[in-house]
Order: sequence, then structure tokens, then C-alpha cells
Amino acid sequence: MVIGVGAYNNAATIGPVMEAVQAGLQRHQPAVESCIVLAEGGSTDGTPDVVRHALGPRAGRLVQVAYPVHPADLLEAAYHGLPGRPQALAAIFRTAAALGARACAVVDASVASLGADWIAALIEPALDGGFDFVAPCYARAPQEGALTRSIVYPLFRALYGVRLHQPAGGEFGCSRALLDHLLAQDGWQDGGHGVGVDIWTTTAAVCGGFKVCETRLGPRRHVSRDDAPDLSATIVQVIGALFTEQARRAEVWQRIRGSAGVPAFGTSPAVPEAPPVEVSQLVESFRLGYRELRDVWAAVLPPATIIALKRLVVGSAGAFAMDDELWARIIYDFAVGHRLRVLRPDHLLGALTPLYLGWLASFLGEVGTGDAAVVDERIERLALAFERQKPYLISRWRWPERFNA
Amino acid sequence: MWDQVNLIFSRAAGRIVENIANFLPGLVVLVVLFLAAIVVAAIVRVVLYRLLRGLDFDQRASRTGLAMLAEWAPDKSASLMVARIAQWTILFLGFLAGLSALDATMPSYFALTVFGYLPNLVAAAIILVLGDLFARFVARSVLISAVNMQIQSARLLSVGVKWLVLILAGTMALEQIGLGREILLLAFGILFGGVVLAMALAVGLGSKDAVSRTLDRQLRDGSEPHAPGERIDHV
Repeated sequence: MVIGVGAYNNAATIGPVMEAVQAGLQRHQPAVESCIVLAEGGSTDGTPDVVRHALGPRAGRLVQVAYPVHPADLLEAAYHGLPGRPQALAAIFRTAAALGARACAVVDASVASLGADWIAALIEPALDGGFDFVAPCYARAPQEGALTRSIVYPLFRALYGVRLHQPAGGEFGCSRALLDHLLAQDGWQDGGHGVGVDIWTTTAAVCGGFKVCETRLGPRRHVSRDDAPDLSATIVQVIGALFTEQARRAEVWQRIRGSAGVPAFGTSPAVPEAPPVEVSQLVESFRLGYRELRDVWAAVLPPATIIALKRLVVGSAGAFAMDDELWARIIYDFAVGHRLRVLRPDHLLGALTPLYLGWLASFLGEVGTGDAAVVDERIERLALAFERQKPYLISRWRWPERFNA
Repeated sequence: MWDQVNLIFSRAAGRIVENIANFLPGLVVLVVLFLAAIVVAAIVRVVLYRLLRGLDFDQRASRTGLAMLAEWAPDKSASLMVARIAQWTILFLGFLAGLSALDATMPSYFALTVFGYLPNLVAAAIILVLGDLFARFVARSVLISAVNMQIQSARLLSVGVKWLVLILAGTMALEQIGLGREILLLAFGILFGGVVLAMALAVGLGSKDAVSRTLDRQLRDGSEPHAPGERIDHV
């Protein structure tokens, strides 16, 4: 089996990650021949030396491969923090296939909370459980991972009928069969899958009919780079990748109704604390967006939705609550707008930011600092709303002109 | 004396008749050419409009960022706008061709001057259209970015940037035509500088408190300023 780690100038964080990977391999799979593949983008901060030092005498099981980092990768700060991640994944997959690996897991070099147990949790379902794709599931505070909770998870679930809570996770495990399937897909040349390669991988696994499961990894503490993108750029990258896959696989998702859960492994640890978020500021951001971007929204959203948003704006901040059905239709409208190129994708998704902050205000106002069960129940209701509104998406997708009148 | 008057009158009348006789064929040609241009323009407009509608040009134009064409058209149809542009271009060219057929010095000279000037006019029109496209693009970029940065006067900023680009494009277009070059450049310099100064003053005075609060916070706890929700991991 192969554990792949992509790295580019990660000297500050990769040492503990490598120690955890090594400890995980020794503790959980000592009998299985294993190898650590380091995909290195040409770091200038001594990352490979830190890796060798961390692995110590067992550095012999390390295979270092180089992957190209293009100037464009450095210019576009990616939300996951690894410049040229598609090329890094391609290098890891190809090396794993060349080594004859039965299973492969990929972990992020900048995750400070990565523990030895993560390795077993990611690799064992693929190695021994008969699963092809092992998706991560993190324990998070209500205010964390909100983009995933509000859009990525419910949209992915409604589209593809699979209840994967983290379709854009930085860590995952996969079987040899899936590895070969992924490598056989077009688009690996020159990082064609773009910054949203993780969403592409998950979608390819689900749409390819592979056996999928989830593994609970606990809290994920990610050390951000200095050039980490802001919220708006993150939305453009993540939701843009999701919408792109949606357009590419329209033939698949239009036939799917409802959704089904996937087997989940591991236990749910305590939810970590996160920096508090001022809900009133989020409401103000939404109101500012309505005031200034209403014309831009009107290019994407039907008049009835604009009226519903206006009601939210004029209401009191204390009673601010965005209806789930409304939110689902907004996301579907933006997906259709993205497909029709109503606006440039970065403009379109940039204009989504205040709406997202409005949803976040509504969500945090409702769940507060509630425990995981409360949050899960709330997100389940939202996901069901996305499923109920799917006929609306299909209608708009097929006959967009009907809604412009 | 009456004989002389008669002679002068008859000579004058002869010249007038001769001039009219010389002028009339040209006028007939002008009318015929203009009528032909009207017919051709109408046919081209109908055919082009139907062809573009058949090719779903309206949808394609809106997808490729040419929605501006539709915005200028009365019926919000890019196809209709293109068809009308073609129609009026043919009419204008037909009229100019007719003028040159008059064989009268003045109209011919006018027609030749206009024809000679056409490249400059076309270049100026292209500069204006591209300038308008760029101004809209930049204005929308600024507006969305400013809103996401929580700048309260985002619209003002966006409109200011849009007009800066439009003024620049307009000046370049007029420069291309050759209208009041020196005065124009001077006026543009004064206007551009004035707008930039006004915006700098507006932003500086308007955000004085915000800047002082931000600096104060940074000096107190060393933390960077954040927009709402910026300090948490959203993915």
C-alpha cells in the first residue's frame, strides 16, 4: 500500500505529519508492505530534508517523486494550500500504480491534527473492507466547514444521491481499481482538473459506480499559508469546481432521485472549539450585498427570489432566518447561471459570497454553539430541501429561458 | 437695350437649363442608388435577423459577454441590433455612393472626405465599444470585490472606475478622429487628475475612522483585520 503526501514548501508542518504517517503504518499495518510517496513540487525551504529527518532510519521506505509547479499555480492561491495539487495527485497515483499498490491513501502535509490513527482509518476500508473510495468526515464546530455544510454536501448529495459529508476533503483513501480508473480519465495533463481536483476525484468515484464509504477522522486543524485565499476566492474555487463537475455530468445526475447513506467507520470525537463569529456582522454583509449587488443577482435569480431576499433585508436582524427551500433554489439558480455563462464565473461566484454569509448568519443564529447532533439535524433538513428542489434544478437546467420571463 | 436684356436672360436661362440638365442625371442616379440601398438594406436586415435568430445568436452573445449589444438594442435583442447596424451602414454607404455620382464638386468632395475618414471613424467606434466593454467588466469586478471587502461605498467606487475607463476610451476615440487634440488632452489630464484626487480624498476622509480603528486594533493585539467569517475554515 502507498501513503501519498504532496508537499511544496511545507517544512514547518510536514515533520509531524510524516511521523504520524510512519507511526500509523507501524501500528496498524505492520505486516503489509508499505511505502510513503512524497510528491515534491521543488520546495526551497528544505522540505525533503525535514521529511527524511522525521522518518529517521526508516527513510528507506520513502519514494520521492517530483511534480511540476507552474507559475499559474503559484499565482492562484488554492484553498487547499498546495500549489499544483492536481499534478501532485497524478504523481502519487502513477507511482502507486507503478509500485503495484493494492490501496493508496493521500494526506495533506499541512494538517497539524493528523494522527497515526488517520492512516489506518483511511487505508483499511480500501485494503480489507472492499471499499474503493474512503472519504473523510471531520469533527467541526458549527461555524467551521460552513461552505461544505451549506452548499457542497447538500448539492453533492442531491445531485449524485450519495450522502458524503466531505466531498472536497484533503485526505482520502482509494483502492487499486479506483486508482486505475482515475488514471484512465482524461485531463491529468498540465493539471487539467484544476484547483478542485478533490471534488473531481470524489465525483469520479461516485459516478464510476465504485463502493464508497466514510471514515471519521476527528478534528482537522489546517495550518494556512500566508497567501491563503480569502472567502470569496475560496467560494470561486470550491463552488466553481462543483458546478463544473455538475455541468460535465449532467447526463448522470438528472436520472438520480433521492439519496442513500454510505457506511461510516470510526467514532465521533468531541467537536473542537473555533473562533467565534459575530452573527450581526454577517447579517450586515448580506444587507450590503443586497443593496449593492441586487442588479448582479437579478441576472441569475428569478424575481420571486429577489423579493424573498428583500423580505430578509427589511426584517429585523434578530429574526434573520433564510428558508432552506429558498437557499436551495438560489444555489440551483447559480449553478444554471454558471452553466449558461450569464456572467464570468469569478463574478458570478463572487456575487454569491454575501448570500452565503446571509445563510451562515441564519444557520448560526439557529444552532448557536449547539452540539454536533443539533448541527447534524439542521444540515439534514437543509439537505432534504435540496433534494425536494431538485425538480426545480432539472427544469431550469433543461429549459432556462422559461424562467427569464 | 431690351435686346441685350433678352440676350442675358436667355444665356442665363440656357446656363441654368444646361446645369439642370447636367445635374439631373446625377440626381436620378443618387435617388436610384439610395432607393436601391434602402431595398438592399431592408433585405439584408430581414435576412440577417432571421439568420442570427436561427443561429441562437442572442443566447450565444449573452454567454460570450456580448450582452452589451442587447443592452443597446430597444428590444434587448443582440440579433436585432446587429441587423440594424448592417441596415444603417448599407444606407449610409448607398447615400455616399449616390453623392459621388452627382458629379458636383461639393457633394463629391464631401463624399470622398467621408470615405477617406471612414477608417478613423471605424477605429474610434471600435475603441468606444471595447472601452465600454472593459469599463463594464472592471466596474463589476470592483463592485463585487468591494462588497466582499465590506466597503460601504462599493457602488460609488465601481461607478468612479467605470467612468474613468469610459473617459479614457472617449478621449482615445476623439484623439483618433482628430478633434481638438491639444485641448482634449489637457482637459482629460485635468479631469482624470481631478477624479483621482476627489476619489482619494473621499476614500481618505470617509475611511479615516475605519483606518484608525484598524490600526488601533493591530497595535493592541497584533492581529490582522478580518472581514466577517474570514478567520474560520469554510471548507
